[in-house]
Amino acid sequence: MSAELIILFMFSSMLLSMLTGQRVFAVIGFVGVVAAAILWGNGGFEMGFAAAMKLMKWYPLLTLPMFIFMGYLLSESGIAEDLYKAFHVWMGGLRGGLALGTIGLMVIISAMNGLSVAGMAIGATIALPELLKRGYDKIMVSGVIQAGSSLGILVPPSVVLVLYGMIARQPVGQLWLAGVFPGLLLAALFAIYIVIRCHLNPSLGPVLPKEERDLPLSEKLKLLKAGILPFLIFFLMMGLFLMGYTSLVESSAVGALSALAVAAFKRRLGNGVLTRTIEQTLGISCMFMWIILAALCFGAVFDGLGAVRAIEGLLINDWGLSPWTILIMMQLSFILMGMFLDDTAMLVIVAPLYIPLVGKLGFDLIWYGVLYTITCQISYMTPPFGYNLFLMRAMAPPEISLADIYRSVWPFVIVMMIGLAIIMAFPQIALWLPEQVNVRG
Amino acid sequence: QAPIRWRLQTYAGPALAEHVIKPAIDSFNKIAEGQMEIELYTADQLVPTGELFRAMQAGTIDAVQSDDDSMNSPVDIKVFGGYFPFASRYSLDVPTLFHQYGLKDIWEEAYNEVGVKWLSAGAWDPCNFATNKPLKSLEDLKGLRIFTFPTAGQFLTRFGVVPVTLPWEDVQVAMQTGEIDGIAWSGITEDYTVGWADVTKYFLTNNISGAWCGSFFANADRWNEVPDNLKELFKLAMDSSHYYRQYWYWGGEAQLRTEGTKLELTTIPEAEWKTVETEALKFWDEIAATSPRCAKVVEILKKYRDTMEKAGPPYRYS
Amino acid sequence: MPDVLKTYVRVVDRFNRGVGRITMYLIFVMMGILLWSSVSKSFFLPSLWTLEMAQFVMAAYYILGGAYSLQLDSHVRMDLAYGRWSPKTKAVVDVITIFMLFVYLFFLLYGGVSSTAYAIQYNETSYSSWSPYMAPIKIMMVIGIFLTFLQATSIFIKDLAVALGRPLA
Ligand code: NA
Ligand code: NA
Repeated sequence: MSAELIILFMFSSMLLSMLTGQRVFAVIGFVGVVAAAILWGNGGFEMGFAAAMKLMKWYPLLTLPMFIFMGYLLSESGIAEDLYKAFHVWMGGLRGGLALGTIGLMVIISAMNGLSVAGMAIGATIALPELLKRGYDKIMVSGVIQAGSSLGILVPPSVVLVLYGMIARQPVGQLWLAGVFPGLLLAALFAIYIVIRCHLNPSLGPVLPKEERDLPLSEKLKLLKAGILPFLIFFLMMGLFLMGYTSLVESSAVGALSALAVAAFKRRLGNGVLTRTIEQTLGISCMFMWIILAALCFGAVFDGLGAVRAIEGLLINDWGLSPWTILIMMQLSFILMGMFLDDTAMLVIVAPLYIPLVGKLGFDLIWYGVLYTITCQISYMTPPFGYNLFLMRAMAPPEISLADIYRSVWPFVIVMMIGLAIIMAFPQIALWLPEQVNVRG
Repeated sequence: QAPIRWRLQTYAGPALAEHVIKPAIDSFNKIAEGQMEIELYTADQLVPTGELFRAMQAGTIDAVQSDDDSMNSPVDIKVFGGYFPFASRYSLDVPTLFHQYGLKDIWEEAYNEVGVKWLSAGAWDPCNFATNKPLKSLEDLKGLRIFTFPTAGQFLTRFGVVPVTLPWEDVQVAMQTGEIDGIAWSGITEDYTVGWADVTKYFLTNNISGAWCGSFFANADRWNEVPDNLKELFKLAMDSSHYYRQYWYWGGEAQLRTEGTKLELTTIPEAEWKTVETEALKFWDEIAATSPRCAKVVEILKKYRDTMEKAGPPYRYS
Repeated sequence: MPDVLKTYVRVVDRFNRGVGRITMYLIFVMMGILLWSSVSKSFFLPSLWTLEMAQFVMAAYYILGGAYSLQLDSHVRMDLAYGRWSPKTKAVVDVITIFMLFVYLFFLLYGGVSSTAYAIQYNETSYSSWSPYMAPIKIMMVIGIFLTFLQATSIFIKDLAVALGRPLA
């Protein structure tokens, strides 16, 4: 079978099988092992388990269960309620102020966690009911929460950038630093969008009644204390890491421990909260790990059957495309695939194909990591397949229907694509900070 | 007729493979004119390096370029692959030991027992340290987490080094994420070629071995299926890869030490470094006690060392 | 459904739940190892074994947790169409498509057994200076994959029962 046919066969059978609704990891693993059994030749039967040995040696993956654990604990710990109250009082006087406050809350949560789960949980359970009670437009606010929580993977720490760093073999510290300004840029773009919408149509985000936010200044200032704990956690994780006291995986354990300490301090661990948290952590970690396991097998088989070479040959030699055309095509294909595929699977399967190519074309791989992460954020929100969509559906109050959720994401997807275009045009937004701070050597 | 297809995985990553194996494989494919085609894969691309041997034995991969130590061969003599401490001073020592002092026969015998065809050994670069802290005395080695070969690592624990093993491709990132403090894996040419010079600051000019020893291997059945003319061609390709490395490293080491700007050179005084060599000779005896075949290899190494010392300059200066 | 199948489902589910409820505590083991690693290198000599040990625990964590995570239905599906079907339609489709899961787990198990046999035959030790034996972790992984396989059969039986219109309790 020619390499082109193999590409077609493996991808189309994977996408078709996924439409049946079978578990994503089972589909990817199935296509991988069957292709190996039929097409590899001798020793093809071993490819499935070989991936397990490869995964075991991927040490940065240790951060994954740590961040998941931490995310669940943060949403249980009460940190978010305190923060939200502060935003409520300080920003409630503006049109759409609570929505802006939610974006601020999401940025802070993002700085404490490497995934979008924590932000989604906090947004859907704490911010959303409040926003609805104050008469905010349900479609706009469910978009705000999905978009805001997606910053969790761009603002450091970020698990997606850890995975990207593993595949692109780029330093995680630099990648994390590169995510800082793009993350803030996206948050600012979200905020601008909210301000404009609410200015044009004040009923989308009404101003809070005066009595709710009319506190003496001293009380108002006291509320700012809510920011101390998040800052401490952020410092324990990022600060100790950047100063060289902890390594990357150790810093994720420090983060998990500090979230545990805060929750214990605030007496939030009773009533089975801790057991439920570690059970959920196991479930979500297994979901990620089994997808990575299956995708590693798929990717190695795909590569070993010559498909990677074939694609390189097509793009660079046969079609003779310019570097920027290829780069834009890649981003578009990521966004398209992101509608249907899990981002982890997408990364493990497609990135080994794209990343060497990006390097060969002379682009900066740190910058590309940021571009990739933003496309992941978009894919979290684009139907039919997106984690934030799933989580929203599971956690949102019943008055928000599936149709509402689907409608809510489009404006933000467009805003994110504008952000993506800006960072493509001005790489310095991502690259300036890592160039200033030299992480170790 | 369809060409014979081989998957060959090297233990080197893409940047290094570009020098140490790709040219030889490209020539092979060109000359084989469609009769046979070898597809080259780099470190951990198809299977993780620690599984290379098993994958080759099972036929998942047809051929491998690696040292015995890194690919975790299930043979007693694997400890001599990679950097066996102070086993060689110059890269020419390795082929001499194999072709004139009998290591070739020992290696063939050992791998025949485990169903893999050992094909040919060659030498690479010396084993120096590249670190983020300056090494000026043996004391400075204490507590450093160093990426190195398993056997060399075992030896270095005697000086307080904490050896770490990682996928080769992750070393640069591990330097930056603080997982390791340094690298004892190569000479300075490789440090520059693969980007390690960008993440370390210091280069120690003393080495614990003058030349890496690594080989080409193939699945025994796959090798037997190859027609004789292509077997000969493959031998020539391996020799050309060995030859390329001889001058690439020899010239590279000297040039980068004198003209390189990324690493600051440090040296541990010769007399102090001598204690490392003395310790290595004890280590040799311990290894010799592990099996009769290892004893035979150590005996050969000693005899060779003796000859070279007696021969004096340019073979040995001390 | 015959009683023997009902008993099978009950036993498998209960056993895997037990394994999962124990496995989930490994998160604290991983955390402990990583924290020890950072403490030991800050105050004493860094440990030789921490990173590799954490990797072993991670492998045990997600593979031994595999069965329980299937039971908890933690695994994502692309639910473009699936999400709109009735429970019965879902079960009918799952009964057919779960063979993909079986095939994948079968190959994983095959490779795991072959890799474990190799580890035992050659006394394989890890490719590192610490060089621990590989058989224990590989055996653990094989057990985990096998339990996941059993869990998949239990799910298959439950789906089949729903598809036939006679759900198991
Ligand atoms: Na984050
Ligand atoms: Na999507």
